[in-house]
Amino acid sequence: MIDMDHDVIVIGGGPAGSSFARIAAGAGLDVLVVDKRKEIGVPVRCGEGLGMGDLVKEGLDIPRECYSTPVDGAKVIAPNGKSIVWKTEDTRGYVLERKIFDKWLCELAINKGAKVKTYTRATEVLKDENGKPNGVKLSHGGRDPYEVHAPLVVSAEGMESFMARDMGFKTVHQLYDVDTCYQYEMKPYDHENLIELYFGNVVAPRGYVWIFPKSDRKANVGIGIGGQLESGEKRGGTKGATPKEYLDRFIQNHDQLKDSSSLLDFGGVISVGAPINEFVKDNCMVIGTAAKQVDPIHGGGIGLAMQSGIMAANIAIKAKEKNDYSREVLFEYEKEWRAEPGSIVEKRLLLRKVTEKISDDDFNHIFNCINDTDLMHIMDGNFAGVVGKVVATRPQMLGVLSALLPGKS
Amino acid sequence: MITIKHEGCIFCVGCSSVCPVNALEAVGTRIKHYPEKCIDCGLCVRVCPANVICMHKGIKKCADLPKDD
Repeated sequence: MIDMDHDVIVIGGGPAGSSFARIAAGAGLDVLVVDKRKEIGVPVRCGEGLGMGDLVKEGLDIPRECYSTPVDGAKVIAPNGKSIVWKTEDTRGYVLERKIFDKWLCELAINKGAKVKTYTRATEVLKDENGKPNGVKLSHGGRDPYEVHAPLVVSAEGMESFMARDMGFKTVHQLYDVDTCYQYEMKPYDHENLIELYFGNVVAPRGYVWIFPKSDRKANVGIGIGGQLESGEKRGGTKGATPKEYLDRFIQNHDQLKDSSSLLDFGGVISVGAPINEFVKDNCMVIGTAAKQVDPIHGGGIGLAMQSGIMAANIAIKAKEKNDYSREVLFEYEKEWRAEPGSIVEKRLLLRKVTEKISDDDFNHIFNCINDTDLMHIMDGNFAGVVGKVVATRPQMLGVLSALLPGKS
Repeated sequence: MITIKHEGCIFCVGCSSVCPVNALEAVGTRIKHYPEKCIDCGLCVRVCPANVICMHKGIKKCADLPKDD
């Protein structure tokens, strides 16, 4: 029997890993978090939007320095320029300063007793004679590899998820299920404290352009387009154009932004497909973006990651009490997640798949038919009323939209 | 094989997240390519938002790459 150094090793110190560590360490578990980055929260690869509800649910009071600006809701803009403002108690949120926010979440975990090591890369998952994970091989700055053992290994690795792959999870992303993104932080931009989302196959095939307001007349201006770039061409996009080219064109055509400067370039790839087919095996769990727990419509993953970290940690606490880290025990996390928020993620995936088949003209038509309440129903996964409204005036759209009706999914 | 123009890389890990054979990985402050694992599938080229990955079809060794890469 190998001596265990910790109860849990968490790979990745982002929102999922830190949330897991906070809850697990708070209940007395010995938690080690390793992150291969030199600095927690850096580099930022994200639009930085987070719903207020995500924090309230978790009872967290976000310090002022963690966010750039609060936002009241969203403004969704159709290809023809028509917009719908969606602003309710539930749509309030923040545009974060991820660098500071991630560090804050991580510090909360440290306050609860978790041990965090940066610039420490997990290079291999160690397994016992039955092939079950019992530790990881680590290296600080690429030197002097060493082994650390624990009965539970948690992958919170985000998009790359190499160790999850090593534990047999199918976390490789398919091109069809990612959006490739580019973003500038720009200034000046005068905004109305609303997140702006521009849709359309010409602007952003199978994706959208976002403008997330920040403090001091700044904004994150970004784009995500379907990973299969050529797919946009048929519907009015440009063959082989990169997200940066699409974004530059959008900025050139935007009254306010065309004269603004950029303060920061960054980009990334967002998972917009289904979550992976299993989140747990004996002695291991996958949480957050590593498990592809990302909203397929808006690509947001911070809230889901935090939620997933907490759910998984609560089950890890039970596993420790029982001294049983088998799949059977850990599966409760997966079961809970798939019920909520998994069911809504599933509906949004269906919505995404239908949306990508809609032409700009049909998109404009939908926007002429619906109001902000309808938009809320759509995001909540109640499609029937909206489909009825749209099809009443354009029956030929029933073919595409029928997939959204109950019983069809 | 592929080459990466590191100067333009924004270190987003898009390439490594789609690579089916773990031939690309973010290590330190760079994307590291393991040519011995690479199967020349080109997914990384297509997903790269910064357009800094180039495919050189039929080339197996670094020594055979065109000079400007």
